Amino acid sequence: MFCEKGVELIKELHLLGDGQLSAFNEDGIRQVLDEMKALYEQNQSDVNEAKSEGKSELIPTIKFRHTCLLRNQRCVAAYLYDRLLRIRALRWEYGSVLPASIRFHMCAEELEWFNQYKKSLAMYMRSLGGEEGLDITQDMKPPKSLYIEVRCLKDHGEFEIDDGTIILLKKNSQHFLPRWKCEQLIRQGVLEHVIS
Amino acid sequence: MADAFSEASDRSEDDSQDVMTPAELIAKLEQAWLNEKFSPELMESKSEIVECVMEQLTHMEGNLQRVRKGDIKASIHRMEIDRIRFVLSSYLRSRLRKIEKYFPHILEKEKSRAEGDPSFLSPEEFAFAKEYLANTESYLKTVALRHMPPNLQTVDMLKAVPKPCLDSFVFLRVHERQENILVEPETDEQREYAIDLEEGSQHLMRYSTIAPLVASGAVQLI
Amino acid sequence: MDPSEVEFLAEKEMVTIISNFSLDKMYLIGGDLGPFNPGLPVNVPLWLALNLKQRQKCRIVPPEWMDVEKLEEIREQERKEETFTPIPNPHYMELTKLLLNHASDNIPKADEIRTLVKDIWDTRVAKLRLSADSFISQLEAHAKLDNLTLMEINTTRTFLLDSLNSMYKLRASLQPQPAAKGHHY
Repeated sequence: MFCEKGVELIKELHLLGDGQLSAFNEDGIRQVLDEMKALYEQNQSDVNEAKSEGKSELIPTIKFRHTCLLRNQRCVAAYLYDRLLRIRALRWEYGSVLPASIRFHMCAEELEWFNQYKKSLAMYMRSLGGEEGLDITQDMKPPKSLYIEVRCLKDHGEFEIDDGTIILLKKNSQHFLPRWKCEQLIRQGVLEHVIS
Repeated sequence: MADAFSEASDRSEDDSQDVMTPAELIAKLEQAWLNEKFSPELMESKSEIVECVMEQLTHMEGNLQRVRKGDIKASIHRMEIDRIRFVLSSYLRSRLRKIEKYFPHILEKEKSRAEGDPSFLSPEEFAFAKEYLANTESYLKTVALRHMPPNLQTVDMLKAVPKPCLDSFVFLRVHERQENILVEPETDEQREYAIDLEEGSQHLMRYSTIAPLVASGAVQLI
Repeated sequence: MDPSEVEFLAEKEMVTIISNFSLDKMYLIGGDLGPFNPGLPVNVPLWLALNLKQRQKCRIVPPEWMDVEKLEEIREQERKEETFTPIPNPHYMELTKLLLNHASDNIPKADEIRTLVKDIWDTRVAKLRLSADSFISQLEAHAKLDNLTLMEINTTRTFLLDSLNSMYKLRASLQPQPAAKGHHY
């Protein structure tokens, strides 16, 4: 059947969860393109025959093939575009440097699209407001002005909190700090959240 | 030090005629944020609000540099700055997301805009949208379209990328009373009818019915 | 909308605190605050009240409506009426949650209040489900939602709007004319 390969590309996307990216299916695309080439060539020769020999019975077949061509074009474009949307989302999730495991799944042109997207976004953010611009990939969640109790698991040295206070993070010392300032240090294993 | 902040509440230069206090400016930003979050289409650009808010933030940050560290006052200002910056970023993110989602339609609308009509895109957004379109078109061409038969080497982006659905339902609160809003029937058996929107009342209806009222500020999406 | 964003909006609500420090009037971008004097009440937004409370710099005065008797009355009213009754604060749920989680020692009968507010919430959300259900099945084009709070709307937003939009698309595709032939790709 015509268009089967094209539909397979679409099915492949449906199997993926949101935000996932599978390996770029270069082979699948090439097979669709090959089918398109064959359909087009058959149509060209039938069109010539229909014209020169007045074979109007060929017209329905020609129309059918053309519909298949359009459907194939649509499947390929849909496959490629959907992947771009996923790649775009990755910029917001991972920042401007993608993990190698994801880059590995992208074709060279997708990487190029991604780099251009990064550039456009950076340019946009730099041009916001004053000279410094505004990084809108930050502040994804509403700020929480709450403090938590933390214990220091290792010596970390001086640490400045947002209001400018400098505290000494010494092993086993306990502190009452803004949550948003500690989150990273907790992940790094410098601090632990004391749950009273 | 007490005076470091006292000028923050006036606009740094009293140049504009529409005297808006910083508090009103923040309220306007929050309205724009919620409208943008809930409206299915891109709303009119509010560049002047964005610029003024950025100015306020920069000004306040500047003042904070001069303040004694560890001061309780500084931490209160810091928290307020964080809250405002979140709303501003979230607002701009909502817009950028819509621009990415509907770029061919948004650029088309911008192209057909009559001179003097307000723009839907800020200059930065316009530049971004154009680049996004060019980048995407050139990508599709390189990877696939140029390998297709000659009559199939272009894709009409306006047809290919879905349009915003203006018939979506939205929740709204009324700021200024409106009379005789026509509600279109949902089925052939129903008839259209008119409703009045009382000040302060809340409704669920199709966006297309009240789109101009959102734009004018008479109703607020919630 | 993420619930944390509704909570963020609720944190703008003003509450009264009694601070234990003194500070001159402050000029915030969003308006003036203070002055703060030890032992004297002052109105501040909830985000600030919670922060000061956590740093043990103030005591929060519970909002007037956060009172067992008043809430019992509201609960009875809510159970009696079929429609949504007016609620004392557009962010009653978030305020209750935030104040009870972070300042419960300043709220008399905190546990009873928690239960009462949850009862009121449950009653209202059950009504909301019923009306959403009838709105969809009756193919209504407009509904008046007075007295509903943002958090309540938010619990049903995604589900209700997605259902309505899907049904609309289904109906549109039943129409004879080939509506919306956009090539989605």
